[in-house]
Amino acid sequence: MKYFAKKLIGLFATLLAVSFLVFLAFAVIPGDPATAMLGTQATPERIEALREEMGLNEPLLVRYAAWVADFVRGDFGISYSYRIPVTNMIVDKLPVTLTLMALSFLLIVFVSIPLGITCARYRGGVLDHCIVAANQVVMAIPAFFSGILITLVFGLLLHLFTPGGYVSYQKDWGRFLGYMLFPSIAVALPKIAMTTKLLRASVLSETRLDYVRTAYSRGNGTRAVLYRHVLKNALIPVVTFLGMALADMVAGSIIVEQVFNIPGLGRILLTSISNRDYPVVQAIIVCIAFLVLTINFLVDLVYQMVDPRITIE
Amino acid sequence: MKAKVRNRVLLALVCTALTIALGACAGDKASENTSVISIGIPQDIEDSLDPHKAVAAGTKEILFNLYEGLVKPDSDGNLNDALAAAHTVSEDGKVYTFTLRDGVKFHDGSLVTAEDVKYSLDRCADTSSGDALVPAFSAVESVTILDDKTVALTLKEPDKDFLAYMDVAIIPASNEDPEGNPIGTGPYRFVSRSPQENFILEKFDDYWGTPAYIDRIELKIIANADSIVTSLNGGSIDMFARVSQAMTQQLSDDFEVLEGTMNLVQAMYLNHAVEPFDDVRVRQALSYTVDPQEIMDLISDGRGTQLGSSMFPAFGKYYMEELNDLYPTDLDKARELLAEAGYPDGFSFTLTVPSNYQQHIDTAQVVAEQLKRIGVTADIQLVEWESWVSDVYAGRQFEATVVGLDASSLTAPALLDRFRTDAGKNFINYSSQAYDEAYAKAQASTKEEEKTAYYKECERILAEEAANVYIQDLPCFVALNKKYTGYEFYPLYVQDFSKLRPVEE
Repeated sequence: MKYFAKKLIGLFATLLAVSFLVFLAFAVIPGDPATAMLGTQATPERIEALREEMGLNEPLLVRYAAWVADFVRGDFGISYSYRIPVTNMIVDKLPVTLTLMALSFLLIVFVSIPLGITCARYRGGVLDHCIVAANQVVMAIPAFFSGILITLVFGLLLHLFTPGGYVSYQKDWGRFLGYMLFPSIAVALPKIAMTTKLLRASVLSETRLDYVRTAYSRGNGTRAVLYRHVLKNALIPVVTFLGMALADMVAGSIIVEQVFNIPGLGRILLTSISNRDYPVVQAIIVCIAFLVLTINFLVDLVYQMVDPRITIE
Repeated sequence: MKAKVRNRVLLALVCTALTIALGACAGDKASENTSVISIGIPQDIEDSLDPHKAVAAGTKEILFNLYEGLVKPDSDGNLNDALAAAHTVSEDGKVYTFTLRDGVKFHDGSLVTAEDVKYSLDRCADTSSGDALVPAFSAVESVTILDDKTVALTLKEPDKDFLAYMDVAIIPASNEDPEGNPIGTGPYRFVSRSPQENFILEKFDDYWGTPAYIDRIELKIIANADSIVTSLNGGSIDMFARVSQAMTQQLSDDFEVLEGTMNLVQAMYLNHAVEPFDDVRVRQALSYTVDPQEIMDLISDGRGTQLGSSMFPAFGKYYMEELNDLYPTDLDKARELLAEAGYPDGFSFTLTVPSNYQQHIDTAQVVAEQLKRIGVTADIQLVEWESWVSDVYAGRQFEATVVGLDASSLTAPALLDRFRTDAGKNFINYSSQAYDEAYAKAQASTKEEEKTAYYKECERILAEEAANVYIQDLPCFVALNKKYTGYEFYPLYVQDFSKLRPVEE
């Protein structure tokens, strides 16, 4: 219980710090939303009037305090550019980014764990060498580039999907998932390579331990030993890495959303930054920070599940 | 054993998921049904859906389909009566009287009344936020309702050209949220939007004029220029209004490429308040050096229209082609002028360019190369559009910039007004007594020919004083799927979706 209270306080403190930093960043970088909105019609009087209307002439700390007060009450404000509540925008777009992350994560887990174990099992063999070599290459390709390659191969050559033909999940879940599969491959590829490599090394170091010999002596086959005994122990470093990878994927998906023309959180975040649409940027950044913190927390829980000897305090 | 079963179940689940996903991989083909068209647009409508507050050209060109004014421009540049059935202009050019058309309905089903018209026009002239909401309306003295069907607008000063501004949108006085709930009288009505994703319009069934052909328009936001061609070829959009020359070559046979002009004045705009651009000889030297033809050849395969002043050919009666020959490329002459001005070894300056306009970046790069020939160094600095607006345009903190300026209405002042010494939009700090006088005379004149002559005089002064290094009116390519036809180019920056129609088979 104490642990949860501590975690919760930490969570709020971090979110506060993050949101304040965003506020500060906008105070430092040039440009303001009023000029962004008025464009070439911007005259000093009109900018002034609009700034007054939007409450931008208040001191930074006053604005920040007002924002926190509203945020705590669940009011994320109204987008300057779209004149719709930020909450609606996020609720609308969050499933897109979450789906992208979830699909990529599933791909990572279901591809890299069998791959890693297979490599370890046939270490030194042709298959192992091939996978290790391929891993090195894939690891070095950033997601946006593999995204372009995937578009080219699966989209334009094989016609498995229509490039840029994103379908909203509100319209058709099946086609939405069909489209999202390809960007999630782009996001997952480098992480699959890293996880495979890590798991292979981890399994190899585990197999030298005594309990493995004991497991064999009890009559288990190689397969059973690897999957039922070794994997559990070998997973600890992999879980840590997956947690980090998941947090990293939040950032990676922002770029991949651009490549695949997906209107998710990342896209909204980018345009809102260039429009200086403060309420939207604030809310999305806090949302992302919250996601990352939650993932870290979940990783802690998973540790305990994988190895009950670990207790979290 | 238990683990094995679990694994099998998991495997089965994954396989099913993948099958569903791959099976659904047909993607979102733009509908086979030609009563729907998907059109790509490069940016979302982010400034405002309120027709009187919208400023971005990319917003206005879409709103053109939702809103209409008392008069409406057509693709030949004529102003036709729209919500007005007829109009008269008083002898002295001060009073404009409009007779309203019968039975015109707003998208919410209510009839357009004289009150709505007065409300809309008064709103444009509203000065509560400093300037008039629509700048040209600062010239309006009063709007009066003469009877149910007649509205009169009185100007402070006579202006025979004011009709061109009467295309401002008429909106219902009862709408409390014009930004969130756009209601107009246009051939299309707003249905829904999803930020950074789409903007959906539907044909307005009670439209007073020639109805639109296509029932539903889905505007898809394609912010990443690299995916425009793949989206077109892949079939997720049927049309994209401004594609580059390079993109047109990658399009499949399903598309027709229509060519028009962008209707803007692309130039290297110089800040006359900073040295050495305050010296006319320096500006002329730059004009003798920059070769528009070479720029066009390098960037767009020679397409484009050379310009010599702040006017483009779509304005037939004001455009002066002869000004293009004022500064033939002549490097010796340019070096001579520079030496006279005290810069025999050239100089260097910062050339600020908005990073979101590839065509201006390309031009700036060629210009910088050309200027090297006379020893002048231009350091290109790319800035976000937002900073360009606040620093260069509103703040006037720059040395030189390459952009294109468009005309917001079909009048000469739309392009020429900004060069008056004390014009608020005079971001290049241009100041010429001769220009101010000629411009004032043009404004005061009530005779059509005399007026035109004075505006031409203004253009000549801009060219002779090399106010800016004029380059070109950019070519504009529209990619349209061959299933559709009817696209029309306008002399203004608008897209008219109501003319698009499916090809009869």
